Amino acid sequence: MQPIASPLTRRRLLAGAAGAPALLAGLSGGDAAAQSGGTVNFIGWSAAVDQVRAQISAFERATNVRVNYENFPWAQFRTALVTRLVGNAPIDVSWISDAWLPEFVEAGWLADINDIPQLMRYNADAADYCTQSMVYRGKQYGLAYYGDHMSFMYNTELLERAGITTLPTTWEEVVQQSLRIKQQGIVEFPLLLSLAADTWLIEFVSALTYAFGGRMVDDAGNAVMADANRGAVRAARFIREAIATHRILSPGAVETGEINGLRAMGSGQHAFAIVPTYRIRALNDPSQASAAGKIRIALMPKGGPDGTNNTLGWIRFYGMTPAAKADRARRERAVRFMEFFGGRDTGGNYSMQKLLLTDVGLPSCALPVNQDADVTAFWNRWAGGGAVIAQQAMLAKKKDTIAPWFGEWVETSNQAWQAVCLGRAEPEAAMRTAAAKWTELRRAFR
Amino acid sequence: MLARLNRKFGYDERSAAILVFPVVAVLLVVAAYPILYSFWVSLHDIVLTRPLRRPFVGGDNYLRIFGDERFWLAVSRTTVYTVVTVVVTTVLAVLVALLLNETFPGQRILSAVLLVPWATPSVVNGLMWKWIYDPTYGLLNALLLKVGLIERYRAWLGDPDLTLMLIANAAVWKQMPLAALLLIVTMKAIPDDLYRAAKVDGANVLQRFVHVTLPALRPGLMLVLVYETMISIRHFDLFLIMTQGGPGDASFTLSWLIYVETFRSLRFGTGAAMSYVLAMATFLLSWAVIRWLGKRI
Repeated sequence: MQPIASPLTRRRLLAGAAGAPALLAGLSGGDAAAQSGGTVNFIGWSAAVDQVRAQISAFERATNVRVNYENFPWAQFRTALVTRLVGNAPIDVSWISDAWLPEFVEAGWLADINDIPQLMRYNADAADYCTQSMVYRGKQYGLAYYGDHMSFMYNTELLERAGITTLPTTWEEVVQQSLRIKQQGIVEFPLLLSLAADTWLIEFVSALTYAFGGRMVDDAGNAVMADANRGAVRAARFIREAIATHRILSPGAVETGEINGLRAMGSGQHAFAIVPTYRIRALNDPSQASAAGKIRIALMPKGGPDGTNNTLGWIRFYGMTPAAKADRARRERAVRFMEFFGGRDTGGNYSMQKLLLTDVGLPSCALPVNQDADVTAFWNRWAGGGAVIAQQAMLAKKKDTIAPWFGEWVETSNQAWQAVCLGRAEPEAAMRTAAAKWTELRRAFR
Repeated sequence: MLARLNRKFGYDERSAAILVFPVVAVLLVVAAYPILYSFWVSLHDIVLTRPLRRPFVGGDNYLRIFGDERFWLAVSRTTVYTVVTVVVTTVLAVLVALLLNETFPGQRILSAVLLVPWATPSVVNGLMWKWIYDPTYGLLNALLLKVGLIERYRAWLGDPDLTLMLIANAAVWKQMPLAALLLIVTMKAIPDDLYRAAKVDGANVLQRFVHVTLPALRPGLMLVLVYETMISIRHFDLFLIMTQGGPGDASFTLSWLIYVETFRSLRFGTGAAMSYVLAMATFLLSWAVIRWLGKRI
């Protein structure tokens, strides 16, 4: 018979301490196993965290599958994800940026979903541009989290004060109207571009390059950004002149990140800006912006002789790891998770897509979502209607610089664009530097 | 074997070895192994996004670094930053130490206040100075505008000619108090007799500083110079928070280059090689300072 109580010796205490975590793990694991249909390990960046958590709760209730959810700030996410993948961390599903797709596929970190009809059927509902952004070498690697594009936004109040009644349709008109606003002393820098050397810079300059009818890389994968007529030189020169010649764009643009740009536009200090479309909600929310109610979206102006209304579009999506796909049970759970979040929930609704749009403003790739009455009401309330946004979305083009070496190249590209802004390099020379790095990395990859 | 060891080493030596062993084992695991492993990594072409290939390249990574113009740009930026930070910190620290070595009302309070910047976490320091330099709502702009030194707000950190100096200013603000503290301790140890004898010989204040204080300060100065050099040459947090190496390449220092190469480009091989170069440079500089000042102590 065991004594009811025994003296607490140091050895007993140490043994107890060592055994406790194992005991707890066993209890919780057993408990979880008994109550749920397994676990999905999901990793994302720190965006829409409340909405994700809410959807996770709904998913767990509907499927009895538990979700381990981890998130990291966007700025560190790629590094955090890569180090976990290299270390064979048990990740089933992750948010992926379209910019990383070739790099991750070549590294063997993403599994294609072509043989999973349960997910592929959502292509019928998705905008074609979104689907194409998830395709690499003929295979599709995920289901959309959201798809967005760069929009040209303006402040109605500042334009009214300057007596401007027609919206600019070209970047030359943007310059003229900005000069008019500046000369009247309404604001010092009417144009806002966020050109800090961070992950957003390539998105902004690509949008401007497309508007000037240029490209960074041609269809064959050759760098054409330094080409005077079909490259990014015209866009680069426009930025340089906006800063140095017309003084309508602040020299401080080189230290303005996307978030700070958003705040500056929201404070009513700028008349025109290029901003991700999903920010329109924050810009017109009185609790977040003093210029609320005055920010509207127009079609991207055309720039130069070959200008277009095109803009840059991008997509973030749910990707599955090969390890998850290789295990039947993990694959089943991961597919259910991806469908519930990127497709329809168990009730047949695009609940996550709608939640992200109506709560955060993230546009959906699923076309039926845009027919929803709540979504229409959302665009009417925050953007004065969704017609221009829909029209611009049709003119969005994905980044032509997406390649396995994108992550390395973009560092050089960012420096080249900043050198142009600072007047440290001529647009042609800066683009030649970026093009040379592209060619070097491309060769090295072969 | 055991008996032979017992005969060779006494009880005290064996006890000492047993007691020291855990620390040695921990150091081997957390210090020696990573150092050796990172050197091994520096001899391979490891790119995290290409996990299936990691060829042994010997010294190629080192050769590649020395042939990379970004590296030499980073070296020049780091040199300027280090020299400015160390010199300004040391000069200010000497002046502050001289002041606080005197007895005057409020001296104790001033000494305590002086430690506030040093106690401020580095990240907070970076954010604070970024806020001060901000082009739209920064305190510096407001102050200079008020006293009429500028006509409109300026993007201080957006000016590539000023960026490095502005970051150095933030670093000096944080590092100077500790340097001053170290020098005060040294100053307190200077015998008053030396000053009295100098006065008797007719030495004025400046002569007493040059011929009495400064030579006696050498041990403290050596410590400050070595410490500040080691800190400044490897500074990273201020660059991450305030400029991210920009604008353009204006604040592209060695530490920043290592970060970009390792954690953005995910080239761990060249990143490790650069880290070794930086470590060796720090070691050699510190050794040179110790040799140079050590001879004069």
